[in-house]
Amino acid sequence: MAEQKWPDKYPIEGRRGRKYGTVAAMKVAPMVKAAIGGAVEAKRQGKAVAYCFIESIYDEIIRAMDIVPMWTENYAGICGAKRDAQRFIDKADSLGFSRSLCTYATCGLGFDAWREELGEMPPNAPWGGQVKPDVMLSSGQIICDPRNKWYQACQQFMPDVPVYNCAALWPLYEDDLDRHDVEAYYVKYITEDLRGLVRFLEEHLHRKMDWERLWEVIKLADETTDLHVECRELRKAVPTPMDTGDAMNTMVAQCFLMGTKEAYDFFKELRDELKYKVEHKLGVVPEEKYRLIWPGGLPSWFALTDFNYFWSKGAVFPVESTYHELVYSTKDLDLPQTDDPLEHLAWKWIRRQTYWWDKAKKRPGSEPDVEKLITWIEEYKIDGVVIHEAYSCRSWHVGLLWQVNQLSKIYRPIPVLTLKGGKKEVVYRELPSLVLESDMIDISSYSEAETRAKIDAFIETLESIKSRRVEV
Amino acid sequence: MENTAVRGLAVVDKLYQDYGCRARELKNQGRRVLGYLCALTPVEIITAAGFSPFRLKGSVHEPIIKADAHMETIVCPLIRSCFDLALKGRYDFLDGIVIPHSCDSLTRSYSTIRYTLGLPYSHFVNIPHSTKDISLEFLKAELDTFRRSLGRFVRREITDEDLVRSIQLHNENRAKVKELYELRKPEPPLMSGAEVIRTLVAAMSLPVEESSQLLSSVIEEVKGREKKLSGSPRIMVIGAQIDDDAFIRLIEESGANVVADSVCVGSREYFPEAKTTVSPLEALAERYLRGVNCPRTYREFTGPTYQDDLEARFGHIGRAIREFQVDGVILYILKYCDPFGFEVPARMKYLESLNVPVLHLEDEYSMASIARLRTRIQAFLEMIAK
Amino acid sequence: MDYFAGVDIGSTMTKVVIMGQEVIASVVRVTKPEQRRLAYLTMSEALREANLSFDELTYVVATGYGRINVPFADKQLTEISCHARGVTSLVPGTRTIIDIGGQDCKGIKVAGGRVVGFVMNDKCAAGTGRFLELTARALGVKLEEMGELALTSGNPVEISSTCTVFAQQEVVSKLAEGVALSDILAGLHQAIASRILSLVNRLGIEPEVVVTGGGAKNIGLVKALERKLGFPIVLPPDPLLTGALGAALLGRDLVEKAQKEGSFPTRQERRLEEVKFFA
Repeated sequence: MAEQKWPDKYPIEGRRGRKYGTVAAMKVAPMVKAAIGGAVEAKRQGKAVAYCFIESIYDEIIRAMDIVPMWTENYAGICGAKRDAQRFIDKADSLGFSRSLCTYATCGLGFDAWREELGEMPPNAPWGGQVKPDVMLSSGQIICDPRNKWYQACQQFMPDVPVYNCAALWPLYEDDLDRHDVEAYYVKYITEDLRGLVRFLEEHLHRKMDWERLWEVIKLADETTDLHVECRELRKAVPTPMDTGDAMNTMVAQCFLMGTKEAYDFFKELRDELKYKVEHKLGVVPEEKYRLIWPGGLPSWFALTDFNYFWSKGAVFPVESTYHELVYSTKDLDLPQTDDPLEHLAWKWIRRQTYWWDKAKKRPGSEPDVEKLITWIEEYKIDGVVIHEAYSCRSWHVGLLWQVNQLSKIYRPIPVLTLKGGKKEVVYRELPSLVLESDMIDISSYSEAETRAKIDAFIETLESIKSRRVEV
Repeated sequence: MENTAVRGLAVVDKLYQDYGCRARELKNQGRRVLGYLCALTPVEIITAAGFSPFRLKGSVHEPIIKADAHMETIVCPLIRSCFDLALKGRYDFLDGIVIPHSCDSLTRSYSTIRYTLGLPYSHFVNIPHSTKDISLEFLKAELDTFRRSLGRFVRREITDEDLVRSIQLHNENRAKVKELYELRKPEPPLMSGAEVIRTLVAAMSLPVEESSQLLSSVIEEVKGREKKLSGSPRIMVIGAQIDDDAFIRLIEESGANVVADSVCVGSREYFPEAKTTVSPLEALAERYLRGVNCPRTYREFTGPTYQDDLEARFGHIGRAIREFQVDGVILYILKYCDPFGFEVPARMKYLESLNVPVLHLEDEYSMASIARLRTRIQAFLEMIAK
Repeated sequence: MDYFAGVDIGSTMTKVVIMGQEVIASVVRVTKPEQRRLAYLTMSEALREANLSFDELTYVVATGYGRINVPFADKQLTEISCHARGVTSLVPGTRTIIDIGGQDCKGIKVAGGRVVGFVMNDKCAAGTGRFLELTARALGVKLEEMGELALTSGNPVEISSTCTVFAQQEVVSKLAEGVALSDILAGLHQAIASRILSLVNRLGIEPEVVVTGGGAKNIGLVKALERKLGFPIVLPPDPLLTGALGAALLGRDLVEKAQKEGSFPTRQERRLEEVKFFA
């Protein structure tokens, strides 16, 4: 195979003023467009289409059964990125859905209601529109309330489309609980639930599960995930070869294409590109000054250029939590052997969701999310924390403040020389943090001027800490 | 209650105004108190462990001062208010807190709540969303985990016999509330909606035996009433935790009687009973997964038509409307409430199919909005007046 | 002859209408903090215009945001009922009323002359007069001229913020970029029209659609609404007075209904007393 020639300068100019840190990220938009268009075409050809939620537990199952997924959160994100979500959110409002609800859902519900009313796609629907599905696969539980209720609400306009609600749950961390004590009955429940899902799909979509094929897809998915882990690890380098701005694009392969050869090839190429960049010390920005972490929360899809604004100040994000919830190397999970592919999926799910428990128990005051942050702050040499509170999403944003507060309580790694009573003293400070506020797709909640002003102030804080930092 | 001289509604008012006073008294006498939120908390297990279950409430009269430093403002305003009161020390008699998987607001705040309050005990009960048989099996195991966790904290095993006895006590308690509700059926009702809410709120702060005694004394007192309340129409309130009489009084002062409800401190909590013909964990799993009818629980689509599905999910409302002869429904939803928020159109559609007028209100759990609410309620009553 | 009065104390305007069989007096004043005093002054002025004394009024109905501050009223009714009654008397085929006030916005569905549904937004400035007022100020444009100026635009620009603070920032920066003022104004009116319609659409919009309140006087807003609806909107001749008119009419309805049954509706022991500042 011919050697891929990567650019020797970054960032790269993309379309409409957006800059990218990797060639891979630039390839993503057409991939998504093809996927959306693919669903429209699939429907036209009479293939089975399912409404799906990302980072659920059924990616391998639907791929093995040749079901075409329509990722409804993705579609809403596209409407948001194209700044064309408002009319669908307005439609949902007019149906009685509060504006304080998840805007992915209100955008999707508004779109679906409109499409069903018209009997065709709403006018100028972004990228051809969101097709009517044959089935809808919910997966609420601990992940998210809207995922529990959204498709149920869709049934008001699509009463003939059946819903299966998956048991994608996990135990919450408790001081007096050892995860091994409860894993067994969680796995049993999830396994049986997945069996129910397969039966549901077989019945409603008139096909049978090929269990051998499922094992193959699982193997491919696990190898793809391992490649993704490699990519993430490569970002530890200084300067970092890829940042969160790009990750909000590359997440597509992880979240919408998991289980396909396309995803595998994508991460292989991304891995090769990052390796090249690390070898040649090519960073996302020419002069990397500050390294930041994005501990969780969704970005403003209409304002991804904010990452470019950070870059213009020399600030990059070598690592983020968002969309990495399932990205763990397979051997790390130490999964029990089983002949049942569904049980394998259940074990994988539970082990991924409780990955940080054991480490967290060793540090007083720590919890899995905080422990992950501490680990990654050290491994990726992080200087500061940035969180984005999306006002319509309780699921992924409530608790971020606590995480950042708890982090600052139990983890103070920055040695700073201060004057105390006339004497010079080394004091350990917590990482500085920035809270940005708007929404994933509701642009009326966003102010570019205000956001940039906040970023500027944060950069000044980072600079002042850097200048007072001492070696100890 | 020890003191039998002061009974009935006078006691209700004392417990309501000084919420938590009895729990504090019990604590000082050496009894343990476990706080909780939400109708999905398995209180039977709390009682079986020897605790007095204490349901947290917020305050619509107090602005949120301390919570914002720890908890996002997009959290359900009721939960923020409860947390704020806890931070202000109102609930400093608690030995611990238990929360079920009710909704994102509560689930995602679990860490915030337990670390900030620093209580000796906390537990999260992972109630599944769907009502399938396998969910029931899971919940039994999960309830057992909770039982054993509490047992470790009190240093004794909580046996099945303990649970059976506790279930009995709580079933009796629920029967009392149903009896109380019967007093709302006549026209005009014997008790005002405001009195009912105050009674329910007072009851939810007491150990189960005292709660039953209180309810009995109130029923006795109201049955013997001479005074008749005037005014129509007959209103049913649907919502989540309405734990203050301000909203109910607003409706009644505008010229109506609140005669029925589907709210968390009322019928949602008290109407479903736990079976006594099966093992206690089975009975509890069944009650909390399928008995309690709450929007956060996903009831499988039974069909065949959408209207059938609505009937399966909301039929209990239709029954209440008929039994309590309801003229109009007020759907009172808090801003930021996902479980109810996604269901508003479906509920409206269901009520429309019954030809019952509905007023949908979205509010912020604060008295600051009272003028806005008054206009809407008044306009609704003007609209449905014959 | 029976005379009826309607007093509508809104957040920005106070209005009084006096009628017998026809309207004989109507007064509009800007609402000030001392609502009771203003109610007294406005009523006094209306009585002078009608050439009546207070005691000659058979029934007085108060409505609006400040209706509890009318001590001389016999009854208080909400502006929803009153607007519906007033508008349907002026426009017989009314099915949907959109009232765009200074600080709030309402949608009222009417059937058979009666209110069958309503929606309100009185919390968020988006879709109310206040939004326009604040952005007009930010742009240095007179509120009264906004609408006409907007109509001259051939190319309305997309305004994405519905929060007044963000919108002000957005329009100011667009102006700095060189976007035409008329295009910005047109874009603003479109954004507000969208917001208003998504609220009122909860009722299901059916013609005839009547717009009342201060918003009715903004031709740019009315045209933006019409364009989105796809059919013409009816504007009553005195859009500010529909509430007070409806209040007076409802008073008359109550009295007539009671007289048929041989009674009289409950009246307060009421007098029109002068209210002094901090007396």
